[in-house]
Amino acid sequence: MKFPQRGKKIGPTLPKRDVNLIFTRRATLLSLGGLGAAGAIGFRMAQLQATDAVSREYTRAADENRFDTRIVPPPRGIIYDRFGIVLAQTSKDYQVSVVQNDVDDMEEVVSRVAAILGHDADWARRVILRVRGGSHYEPEPLQVGLTWEEFNAINVRLPELRGIVANSTDVRAYPFDVVYAHPIGYVQKPSQRDIDRALANPEQGASRATYLRNPQVRVGKAGLEASLEPVLHGDAGWRKVIVNARGVEMGEDEDEARQPVPGSGVVLTIDHELQRTAMQSFGDQAGAAVVMDIYNGDILVMASAPTFDPNHFVNGIGQAEFDVLNGDEKKPLFNKAVSGAYPPGSTFKTMVGIAAKQAGVDDDWHVNCPGYFPFGGRNFHCWKSGGHGQVNLHRAMRESCDVFFYQAALRAGPERIAAVARTFGFGVAHDITLPNVEDGLVPDPDWWFANRHERWTAGLTVNYGIGQGSLLVTPLQLCCMAARVANNGKAVKPRLVREAPGVVEPGAPRDLEGIAPEHLSAIRQGMFGVANEPGGTAMRAGNMIQCVRRPDGVIVEASGAPPGCTPVQIAGKTGTSQARVISAAERASGVRHDSQLPWHLRDNALFVSFGPWDDPRYACAVVMEHGGHLNPQLDAAPISAMILRQTFLRDPARRPPARLAALENRAGRQA
Amino acid sequence: MTIAAASTQGTLIERVLKLNWGIITLLVALAFIGVLMHFSVSSGAWTDMPLTHGMRFAVLLVITLLAAMFLDTRFWLAIAYPLYAGALLLLLAVEVIGETRMGATRWLSIGPISLQPSEIMKIAIVLALARYYHQLDPRRTGSVLWVLPAFIMIGAPVALVMHQPDLGTAMLILFAGLAVMFLGGLLWRIIAVGAGVAISGAVFAYNNVLHGYQRDRINVFLGLADDPLGAGYHVLQSKIAIGSAGLFGRGYLQGSQSQLDFLPEKHTDFIYTMIVEEFGLFGGFLVLGLYVALMGLAMQVALRARSLFSRLAAAGVAATLASYVFINTAMVIGLAPVVGIPLPMLSFGGTAMVTLMSGFAIVLSVDLHRDQHGARGLLW
Repeated sequence: MKFPQRGKKIGPTLPKRDVNLIFTRRATLLSLGGLGAAGAIGFRMAQLQATDAVSREYTRAADENRFDTRIVPPPRGIIYDRFGIVLAQTSKDYQVSVVQNDVDDMEEVVSRVAAILGHDADWARRVILRVRGGSHYEPEPLQVGLTWEEFNAINVRLPELRGIVANSTDVRAYPFDVVYAHPIGYVQKPSQRDIDRALANPEQGASRATYLRNPQVRVGKAGLEASLEPVLHGDAGWRKVIVNARGVEMGEDEDEARQPVPGSGVVLTIDHELQRTAMQSFGDQAGAAVVMDIYNGDILVMASAPTFDPNHFVNGIGQAEFDVLNGDEKKPLFNKAVSGAYPPGSTFKTMVGIAAKQAGVDDDWHVNCPGYFPFGGRNFHCWKSGGHGQVNLHRAMRESCDVFFYQAALRAGPERIAAVARTFGFGVAHDITLPNVEDGLVPDPDWWFANRHERWTAGLTVNYGIGQGSLLVTPLQLCCMAARVANNGKAVKPRLVREAPGVVEPGAPRDLEGIAPEHLSAIRQGMFGVANEPGGTAMRAGNMIQCVRRPDGVIVEASGAPPGCTPVQIAGKTGTSQARVISAAERASGVRHDSQLPWHLRDNALFVSFGPWDDPRYACAVVMEHGGHLNPQLDAAPISAMILRQTFLRDPARRPPARLAALENRAGRQA
Repeated sequence: MTIAAASTQGTLIERVLKLNWGIITLLVALAFIGVLMHFSVSSGAWTDMPLTHGMRFAVLLVITLLAAMFLDTRFWLAIAYPLYAGALLLLLAVEVIGETRMGATRWLSIGPISLQPSEIMKIAIVLALARYYHQLDPRRTGSVLWVLPAFIMIGAPVALVMHQPDLGTAMLILFAGLAVMFLGGLLWRIIAVGAGVAISGAVFAYNNVLHGYQRDRINVFLGLADDPLGAGYHVLQSKIAIGSAGLFGRGYLQGSQSQLDFLPEKHTDFIYTMIVEEFGLFGGFLVLGLYVALMGLAMQVALRARSLFSRLAAAGVAATLASYVFINTAMVIGLAPVVGIPLPMLSFGGTAMVTLMSGFAIVLSVDLHRDQHGARGLLW
């Protein structure tokens, strides 16, 4: 068969074509096209990595994908009492968590966990609801704070609980829970405000904010935890981990890790034994107690009642529990010892007495007390409606005669009283490294005019004499005042932190300016009378001490007075401050007894004291909020006596305190 | 010599020996690399994935070889039109009673069997057009009138598949069809006009036919949009993996992008990325070389076949393979938009493997029976 010539027209229009030749040519062309495509792809691929900069860029991108820097929060510094007892530490919290992505049947596996932990179906339902909102790839806690037994019970059943993880994390723990809720406070997750504040700082603000957003990070939110945050927190470390696209950790580059620097430990001045005793002595009453070493200012007790468990705050307190605490009229969240401001009542007579002495009042200056003091057209009443008769300063202190002090105040004048009060530490916020330290208020005519826009009147001076009016003091200030009276006029400053980085040992306190020792001596004698002489307003409390000093100086319990031993005595001053105004009409019809009043209108009971009388070392101030002297066991004076008695027997000032370096060594070895 | 004598292909042993073992070796090599990579996808564990891949290939290879040995060119010629018609009817059926999975209506469920008619069409279009040009009077190949049926044969399934929507498969059908037309002798004049129409059609399609996600991908590809976490994420992660691989890669089971799941779809569309990440430029070139060799062998089969049908069918399969390989690899290195086309013999999944192994059954069969011819020197 003869094929026609290619291109020769057959018929009218169509050229005859050699399909085989065309195929061969075009197949070659197509193959070359394929080779070109392969070449282009190969070239592009080589280009992606051969060009140095491009390749580095992609390698860096791959590393960025692959590596993630995980923050390792540092162990927080341990807080010790003065003898090395651990009051706040970082401990392990055992948790059971679920990785949702690994779970086959959520309801089933959670109900099995519930059965192991002894929870009901309702718990399982609530937990599932909560967990479903969380991460699907990272462990979401089902329950935190497991006991060791519960943790083990979960652990042994793990093989049959697919998707369940039993893990432990570092958590701040307060082993004596309620005892140190106020002075030590608590840590919490950083709030949005903390993060905003960090962001506002141009230097490292962003990285600080990133750090604060880490779910494991806790910062101090109250008490010393807040004010010593820079000391306690330490420096964060990090780990360079290999993560997959979902952020789940697959491995770690250990060469790139940095160990966190633990926070520094802190030794407090508090004596745990005494603090616990003091906290227990309040029962369900509201109040505060402060015990202080009168020579170096060490605060041995800082109690505020009622209290709460700071451990509940560490992992986020529930709204319901917080509302109960926050709404309680006894204000458990509030550190009454330093932040509570009260009218000092008759405890202020110590100050008025000194001012009167400075104004020339001597022991011969007698005042007649008929039970009231008519002045400026009205009667100022004495607490003792029948009156005390003739009283001088000593007796007036002992029996707390109001009429004497009305007139003593008039004689001293408000400026002098205010000056003395300020000298003894009222009206200033003592620096004891705590947040929210209240400065109180010591009024004088200038203050009155500036703030009340009217002239000071003599009537105000009269009231000033018994510590009423706008005068406000804190339990800490009361204790400091008692200490300065007891140490014969040394300007001792209270302190709560014995040893911590940046805290320096205070030098010997200077003498208080313009305070004559003989004036103080007279006041101390009066305070001795309060607790030890017939007619003294705190005789019963004075009798509760029941201790003697042995010839070798050691104080021991004894009800009588064994031969060679001297009884240990205290000196003090009672006080009652009204939380309400008693109208003339009420007074006429008989003053209502506190028991008839609602709690928040009852009187506050106060007692400032020091001892032992023969060689003073400790000062104490107790405020019973609205205690109203209703329960003789729970009045301010007997509680003070109980606390002081324990203090004398323990005599913490004479025991060697713990040293931070040694404690940190021990803690480091244990870790 | 009678036709019958000429078509007798000897004993079974002879047939086995006459098989194109080069092609078979390349297929096995690629499938083996596939098993290797799926083992790595499973983070170095014998999970179902590498085993399934290997088993599936083994079964399909046996069927392919049996088909190549026992079905000759006449069979393929005979089924070309019925297969095409059937595939087109099934595509129409998909339109009506198709099953929608993940936003696309591609599947047809007949009892327990679930199939994608668009896959059958990939092979059917090659056979049907090969037969069309085989039987067309060579003088008429240049005529516009006789080009139209071929265009319609391609256009109808492409339109139906685009509507599913399945851009990748539509492109493969289109490329395979156009390749057969080109090899069949389409006039360059018509090609030039067609290209002009195609470009304007592409612009029109971009504006009116394509779905939002398809447009997004093309925009990202063309650099008109930047979307590292959306449409551009796949390609970005893929480019990071390839760009950071180096000459010999990070090592088997060591690719950080793929092992740590940054690379999406690593067991299917992006398996080439994983190969390059773990075996480097070297591994990427090796695999690419295997494909080029496979295409070359298929082309060789086409060139030495005696009938135009055989030639066009084998070359069409080669073109289909090339379309798969080049679209996929161009896609993972960011040279083509992401269209969801797997890498033959390597990507996990049965559909593409069945399609391509059917294609190679034709190629092997055509090669084995290349001496078989009819009275006209071609076929009957």
